[in-house]
Amino acid sequence: MDLQRKLEILADSAKYDASCASSGSSRGGRGTGAAHQSGVCHSWTADGRCVSLLKILMTNECVYDCAYCVNRRSNDAPRAVLTPDEIAGLTFEFYKRNYIEGLFLSSGITVSPDRTMELMLEAVRKLRETFRFNGYVHMKVIPGADQALIDQAGLWADRVSVNIELPSDKSLRLLAPGKTKDTVLRPMNRLAQRIAAHKDEVRTIKSSPAYAPAGQSTQLIIGATPETDREIMKLSEALYGKMALKRVYYSAFVPVMKDNRLPALREPPLLREHRLYQADWLLRFYGFTADELLDESHPALDLNFDPKTVWALNNLDKFPLEVNKASYEEILRVPGVGVTSAKRIIRARRAGPLQLDDLKKLGVVMKRAVYFVTAGGKYGGIKKETEDAIKVKLLEHKNPNGQLDLFGEKELVKEGLEATVTGQL
Amino acid sequence: MRTYLYDGSFESFLTALSLALEGQEECSLAREGGAGAEAGLFSEFVNAGADPARAGAMRDLFEERGSAESWHHARYAFLSEAAGAEDAVLAYARLVKEKGAAADDMLADLRVKKVHDLSRSVGGEAHMFKGFVRFKELADKTLYAKIEPDHNILPLLTGHFRDRLGEFNWIIHDARRNKAALHSGGRLIYAPISQAKALEFAGREAAVQELWRHFFKTAAIKERTNPRLQRQNVPLKYRKHLTEFE
Repeated sequence: MDLQRKLEILADSAKYDASCASSGSSRGGRGTGAAHQSGVCHSWTADGRCVSLLKILMTNECVYDCAYCVNRRSNDAPRAVLTPDEIAGLTFEFYKRNYIEGLFLSSGITVSPDRTMELMLEAVRKLRETFRFNGYVHMKVIPGADQALIDQAGLWADRVSVNIELPSDKSLRLLAPGKTKDTVLRPMNRLAQRIAAHKDEVRTIKSSPAYAPAGQSTQLIIGATPETDREIMKLSEALYGKMALKRVYYSAFVPVMKDNRLPALREPPLLREHRLYQADWLLRFYGFTADELLDESHPALDLNFDPKTVWALNNLDKFPLEVNKASYEEILRVPGVGVTSAKRIIRARRAGPLQLDDLKKLGVVMKRAVYFVTAGGKYGGIKKETEDAIKVKLLEHKNPNGQLDLFGEKELVKEGLEATVTGQL
Repeated sequence: MRTYLYDGSFESFLTALSLALEGQEECSLAREGGAGAEAGLFSEFVNAGADPARAGAMRDLFEERGSAESWHHARYAFLSEAAGAEDAVLAYARLVKEKGAAADDMLADLRVKKVHDLSRSVGGEAHMFKGFVRFKELADKTLYAKIEPDHNILPLLTGHFRDRLGEFNWIIHDARRNKAALHSGGRLIYAPISQAKALEFAGREAAVQELWRHFFKTAAIKERTNPRLQRQNVPLKYRKHLTEFE
């Protein structure tokens, strides 16, 4: 099989992994390549997703038979294997032409978890040592591999990850025979400990070699199993808190495989995925907790409104907020205000009191924020704001034709897709 | 109204800026031969030349009276080469002179917003091109890239590629401005360039490009196809020199 065909097969099998980041590391030095703290996107594919790394599997052969996975053993698909030399060589050729920031290496399980992990480590070691490559490397850790092998991953890679894929033990047992919550969480926990230990070590020994400087991430598949958004967000919150994960990725389930254990979806639940990313952003950058966004009586994110707007509508007693007086933390909670515009508000009001007209110039999305703020006591929203009245107004913006279509799914789905897939608010 | 003309260089621009700031009366800045440099009935033109002392004084005005941030924004706004950028920087410089570093807090003031917006646009394009530069390997192993950015971002890219490709010889050619950054034997120079002869590519160059195009095509998930989102992220105007869209 020629290299082109192998690359096609192994890129095709790797593409369902949502992780694209090349951020969080600032590697550099002798040799070729460096990592950029904020990451760099090099292109965007026809689905609008960013390409930043050569995202491939080492092999799509697999001893497992996970129902949702295109590489499952029982799937009659062409199989290919890349050698460590091929992987390192290809990464280097792509890198020097500035196609990519580096390598994202995952793999099906060939022979055994240990053997798979050994070959992957060999590829990355070649890249680092033979090619003296200082660019970004994201390495998947293979659940079930020996602890010593898992430990090595963090020495060679910038980011390491173990995919949870299915958000509950029950779903794992159902769809991924051969995996349990424990087999997934054990390596994740181990990596978290090593990363934390290294952080401690650097405090006393500055020259201590880097250990997964861009941290750890994971992925959850959305819509293949019955977990609610609340369960998913609670899980993410725990992963960010207890495991100190850098990112949790959400991947709308694409029904590539027919299996009677899987739901018959016509299309991937992209809007739901988008709402989860928005909620995830609220956890990480906006000071929200999962419990504030979703409770047991409302376990699903609203598809009509972004989660911050829903929270604000449920907490109208906290609004409107006077932008000249409110704290940064309070301003962050206003719909239509992002981290950048909140910082600008704080800064600009040092120079003088802000008027409503000024907010737009600071980057605030006024068509959403107008119902929730005052500036110098002036309010630009509707007079007697009630949750329903604001909802009606907000929906009018989405439907410029004037027809009020509360369940205009089509429009909303489009809106969901136009926003970036990464869930920026 | 008096218009101070600069020769296109940053030093000359700062000289013109310094002259304009001295007078109290209304005046304007324009590039020689550029828009705004055409004679009107009541216009008076003064060639600013390039005076290192005046340019240095302007740098001090932004950096000392203002802050490192003011200097950054003035420099980046100049690199935008956008219509009206010169006069925007002039108005901004007047404000920095008056208010000092506090000027940059006045984010809702249009004099500040205009320059900050230009600066952000330049910084944004420079960041995008850290991803969009596409090198092709020539027969002598030099890596060659052609770009056509809206703003004059070439000087903002070279440090980035020096860090990464310091062991390679490379050329980044801004075809819109007919200039290039040449990195050779670890040294970097800028030079005017016009495409003279056809480039001779390395033997395996075509094959590597083909591999990349295949990878790029395969990486898209069919069920998620979204050309609008793709266009938003890779505007059509940038695709001309992107190997994967060739």
